[in-house]
Amino acid sequence: MKRQAGQTCLVLVYAKEAPDGAQVYNQRLQTINKEAPDNVEDRITMDIGKMLTQLGSGMITSTEIFLLTLLFSLPLGLVVSFGRMSKNSAVRWITKGYISIMRGTPLMLQLMVVYFGPYYIFGMKISAAYRFTAVIIGFVLNYAAYFAEIYRSGIESMPVGQYEACKVLGYSKAQTFAKIILPQVIKRILPPITNEVITLVKDTSLAMVIAVSEMFTTAKAIAAAQTTMVPFIVAAIFYFVFNLVVATAMEYIEKRLSYYR
Amino acid sequence: MSANLLEINHMKKGFDGVGVLKDISLAVKEGEVVSIIGPSGSGKSTLLRCATMLETMDDGELIYLDEKAAWSEQNGGENHSVYASRADLKRIHKHFGLVFQNFNLFPHYNVLKNIIDAPMSVDKVSKKEAMERANKLLKQLGLEDKAEAYPYQLSGGQQQRVSIARALALQPKILFFDEPTSALDPELTGEVLRVIKELASDHMTMIIVTHEMQFARELSDRIIFMEQGIIQEQGTPDEIFSSGNARVREFIGKFGK
Repeated sequence: MKRQAGQTCLVLVYAKEAPDGAQVYNQRLQTINKEAPDNVEDRITMDIGKMLTQLGSGMITSTEIFLLTLLFSLPLGLVVSFGRMSKNSAVRWITKGYISIMRGTPLMLQLMVVYFGPYYIFGMKISAAYRFTAVIIGFVLNYAAYFAEIYRSGIESMPVGQYEACKVLGYSKAQTFAKIILPQVIKRILPPITNEVITLVKDTSLAMVIAVSEMFTTAKAIAAAQTTMVPFIVAAIFYFVFNLVVATAMEYIEKRLSYYR
Repeated sequence: MSANLLEINHMKKGFDGVGVLKDISLAVKEGEVVSIIGPSGSGKSTLLRCATMLETMDDGELIYLDEKAAWSEQNGGENHSVYASRADLKRIHKHFGLVFQNFNLFPHYNVLKNIIDAPMSVDKVSKKEAMERANKLLKQLGLEDKAEAYPYQLSGGQQQRVSIARALALQPKILFFDEPTSALDPELTGEVLRVIKELASDHMTMIIVTHEMQFARELSDRIIFMEQGIIQEQGTPDEIFSSGNARVREFIGKFGK
């Protein structure tokens, strides 16, 4: 019984907090049509201008999700990888479970849990402003798990001799890691990191599932409202160019680090 | 203060219940050059790794300059080594350096940085002082023109000389070598052995695990022959090379050309 009540609430909350972008857009369109009912030409030009503004703000949101996710998940991933390699078996198993869940379930589902979880589990009222925060939390938790495994692969691939040289020379553990191990690990893991970062660019579109108006949400809404492919083409170009920039930047960093072998 | 820089008493070490070192005792005086020879698996490297604390021994005493790094304590009817506090060990660590078979240079640092980084970040020596030490060592080891090079750009012999310089930059009282020429071809072996000889003539205290019999003979004050985890025989090079011990003679006959 309780569960059923919860399900009803889901629908209510979803309708209230997360109206479909297309609906909003249709409403706006109707307003525009009312304002300029006679001049069809004007209406189309206006719509294209407005379309690009809307898509532009979607691009900004997507870029924000991308940057904030990297900002928090790259360091968090390192911490998680330490947990994964911990001598304490409890810590090791907890991080292992965390990574397993994050990698084993869809990111889309994780976003829903992060967004609706507080309401279902704690009965907290969730505000519309929490929506963006939920996206960031979901992405960071998910990507940290992937990055953790990449860090671990890099750290474990380091030859024991590097640690032994540090020990004999008297470096502390922190110095050994920060000065000798980490710089070499970064060089080793750049290719898999680039892969993840490129995937992240495209994954930002998953924020649509909790109606954050990023690039793809906006494009889909406009496409549905206007019955046009143009927003999708704009979105495709956006993601492609974004990834081109990412790939070029990562290639540059790889080149910068190729001064040694 | 006794003249012993290093004293090892009744060192025992096993891996998974297999005894690798069975009761090794050894003392090294200041300025002494000791070579350790013996077949593979005889425990030479393990002895060096226990002495440099890369491995913890199961039982025994380890003393540097009269300071105990580890001692034996009875625990539940058995004796076990107990190590000094972290702060004490940190101080004791400064007494010795180790040169590895595979150099283990830091590939992302150039030669100069490889040499000055430990003095600066471990011993908190000023950059000026560290640079002075490094330049002197580079000159001494014939590497003046390699200061800016990265390890991958150097030959094996040059890399090994850099790693010797890196160890010497911390001004250790005693320097261990773990088969320093085993990763080098004969031509490159020569240049590294020359450097070690120069150090010996400067009265550097050294303990060298090596398969270079002729080198050990020329250089050492004392040669230790190890087999099956114990010191089978030790003495001056002449004593060892004319040993009556059949096993020592057989081993030297195989390697000592």
